Amino acid sequence: MIRVNNITKSFGNKENKTEVLKGISLTVAEGDFVVILGASGSGKSTLLNVMSGLEKPDTGEVLYDDKDIAKLSDAELTEFRKETVGFIFQQYYLLPHLNVDKNVKLGADLAGSRDYKKMLDAVGLGEKLHKYPHELSGGEQQRVSVARALAKNPKVLFLDEPTGALDEATGRMVLDYISSLQKEYHFTIVCVTHNLNIAEMAGTVIRMNSGKVVEICENKQRKTAYEIGW
Amino acid sequence: MVISLKDSLKLLGIFIMSCCAVTVCTLFLNYNMDLVGLEPQIGDGMVRIMYDAQIMTGKVVSIVSGGCLLVTTVILLFFYIRNYINTHKKELGILKALGYSNFRISGGFWVFGLSVLIGTAAGYGIALMLMPEFYRLQNKEKILPEFSVHFHPLLALCLTVFPAILFALLSVLYSYRKLKTPVLELLREKTTLKVKKKKKEHKAIGELPAKKELPFLRELQKSTLGANPALVFFIGFAAFCYSSMMQMSFSMDELASKFFSAMMVIIGIVLACTALFLAITSVVNGNKKTIAMLRVFGYSEKACCGSILGGYRPVAYIGFVIGTIYQYMLLKIMVTVVFADMDIVPEYHFDFKAFGIVLVSFAVLYELVMWRYTEKLKKVSIKEVMLES
Repeated sequence: MIRVNNITKSFGNKENKTEVLKGISLTVAEGDFVVILGASGSGKSTLLNVMSGLEKPDTGEVLYDDKDIAKLSDAELTEFRKETVGFIFQQYYLLPHLNVDKNVKLGADLAGSRDYKKMLDAVGLGEKLHKYPHELSGGEQQRVSVARALAKNPKVLFLDEPTGALDEATGRMVLDYISSLQKEYHFTIVCVTHNLNIAEMAGTVIRMNSGKVVEICENKQRKTAYEIGW
Repeated sequence: MVISLKDSLKLLGIFIMSCCAVTVCTLFLNYNMDLVGLEPQIGDGMVRIMYDAQIMTGKVVSIVSGGCLLVTTVILLFFYIRNYINTHKKELGILKALGYSNFRISGGFWVFGLSVLIGTAAGYGIALMLMPEFYRLQNKEKILPEFSVHFHPLLALCLTVFPAILFALLSVLYSYRKLKTPVLELLREKTTLKVKKKKKEHKAIGELPAKKELPFLRELQKSTLGANPALVFFIGFAAFCYSSMMQMSFSMDELASKFFSAMMVIIGIVLACTALFLAITSVVNGNKKTIAMLRVFGYSEKACCGSILGGYRPVAYIGFVIGTIYQYMLLKIMVTVVFADMDIVPEYHFDFKAFGIVLVSFAVLYELVMWRYTEKLKKVSIKEVMLES
């Protein structure tokens, strides 16, 4: 379980200070699919960075089973990310000079996983092991980043606008892969997006506006990636 | 236009390399030209042997040092142009999309020749200042008749203006070739990596030999090295320069003057540091995103730095060994072939003491530079790198 207690985060100096997160508190249950919705500039990406240990909050707590990651040193945070979280970004961030196989191995080696190739099969890229990122379509690159994130067996998967750079058909396909893999591996998903439709797939929807949580609601009737609108 | 005069001033490496090359070549060639003027006065015996040996030394040093530095400067120039095009892809793509021809855009790259002109002019100036002392020491034994420094306009032109014109031309031609990339590819900032693919024979799965899989960080180390061969060359070259020039200056203590030794040490250190700093800076800047991504996933700082910088260590030491062999061969040939008939030149043997001192100082210098850059890499902000994308 992840508990976020009253976190604040500001950027800039004294004269030009912008408060991005203004006392956020929320809870994410284990195995849940949480979508954080909000317009551009609402603070949702900063919240994701803080929750995943990429950034430290100015004040407040981020508790993973009672362990406050806001108090960890940089080295401890690195270890935490290694053990606990996986990431999927809008821009994929694949390493351009490594082929598909090696890009996924980046994640797998951290978990000491030898059977990472099954993850590539699971996202339908088993035949493209030796292709390089620039030889793949956007959807295929995002599927590689899904395989890379899951190859390290994360307990929590953070998604930052995972379909932001994809067309509808490819976006649905990627979401479907993520959703079906979650059912198989039971990890928690925290997804940041401005696409209202993706929220229909989630178990919990958190709405943000101007650095504050304005609504948290549970979704009783979750839809599949092919049932939601676009 | 995208390329400005300011861009040409940033080519510090090219300036230093061309400056060193022209300093060495000017000293020896000017001396040779003045010496050739004395030929009618040169009789037989010791004077003739000394004369021939000095002429030969001048030619060998100019060809070897000048040639070596010329090739390196050309590689460095191409490296700069390729980097420039990669970092200004969008601007260049927009120009092409607007209708500027490849030739018109590449025409602007002539300004890169200016850095060569500044370097060669500085090198020529330094050589002019050193010449009186150089002439005195070259004829310390007073075997040859006395002669003074003369100015040779053709040599000045050949060593300053011509290289600049040549390099301006090379810049235009090379950039023209590189700009043949389609407009959309430039605008999309798509990676244009040329990854060498191994030819694979398709065999049945059962026939495939069991291939040992390397850990990811080792794979990354290998691919980082393979991704930019020019950087591998420059790091090897830095070690080569340091090793050969420093050991040569030690060994030359008996064979030549202190002036010559000091010149060798200075050129060796300047070239080695320039090449090493340029290459490592490029490695660090070019791999910021990789390091950020590794850290996002939970790789430790030590592992990240090791996988990016660690692979260059063997390259540096191989460069050092090649430099050692090169200086030994060069001095051996000079002593046994060029100065074979001169009794005043002592026999040359490999200097193990010099080798040891230079190796230790190189290891200390190299590790210090690596430590400095490792610290720099540790400060890479994950968020900043990701926001840049």
